[in-house]
Amino acid sequence: MSNQASGAGPDQEEWSALLQQLRKQAAVHPQPFFYNRVQARLAARQGLAGSWLPGWARRPAYIALVSALLLVMSGDGAALRSAATTSPYPTYQPDAASSPYSH
Amino acid sequence: MAPSFSLPFVFESLPSATASCATIADAELVAQLQQGSEAAFRTLVERYQQRVYSTAFSLLRSAEEAEDVAQEVFVEVYETVTKFRSETALSTWLYRLATSRALQQRRRATAKKRFAYFTSLLGFQNQVLHEPPDHAHPLALLEGEQQLHLLHQHISRLPSQQQVAFTLRHEQDLSYDEIAAVLGTTTSAVESLLFRARQTLRQHLHSPSRHV
Repeated sequence: MSNQASGAGPDQEEWSALLQQLRKQAAVHPQPFFYNRVQARLAARQGLAGSWLPGWARRPAYIALVSALLLVMSGDGAALRSAATTSPYPTYQPDAASSPYSH
Repeated sequence: MAPSFSLPFVFESLPSATASCATIADAELVAQLQQGSEAAFRTLVERYQQRVYSTAFSLLRSAEEAEDVAQEVFVEVYETVTKFRSETALSTWLYRLATSRALQQRRRATAKKRFAYFTSLLGFQNQVLHEPPDHAHPLALLEGEQQLHLLHQHISRLPSQQQVAFTLRHEQDLSYDEIAAVLGTTTSAVESLLFRARQTLRQHLHSPSRHV
């Protein structure tokens, strides 16, 4: 099996030396305790998979949005009417007949 | 026959010469893993972590990204090992996962970088764009090292298939047949990919004005 592309001579030698250097440099290793980190990632993944809620539903912003939507749709918003309509004191209502602009 | 787990370092150092022995040991390892053995998973990770990590590193040139990809590969192995069929060699499956995930990661990083560049042009954000850190010391980039640095740059610009073939051949020392199995193609297609990759790289390395 040949590694060589076309060409020979000094260029070819240089190319071969470069490839050899590349191969030597490729012998890199992960940081120690790699297996522990894989295990931790696996545990985290399994923890997420164990939950019945989808990922997006576990975010606080979505929970708040869904709660607000449910409150509005349930009709409980009626309890939050403005103070003017729910005030126990009678409010001034001008009599239509005595108004100078009624004619 | 040698015990399965007693000589993992032999398989590490001589991947092609001991392929048949490793296959037997790997098959047994996969069988144990499919039954849920954690010890088998640990053995598998320890046996292949260097190859998976260095393959990802060769394609990404970033220790953090290579670590991330390598971890993801082993998590995927653990989660999908029940679907693994023994016609494929375990090492082929791992190399396939490592290369595809590394390329995926690189595409994501490129897209992110393009988006950041685009938004910076439109003035949406005032972040300073930064290139991936180059950890090479200026003095180390002299002469031979400089050529190697250039070679890395040009390898990263090759089309994905050529890059994977070149990396597996010249950095991981895989045979043409093994590369063909990883890429799911024929040996002659691998030869063609490698020929084109070498030709492109040599052209690029020799085209600039040379001072030696």
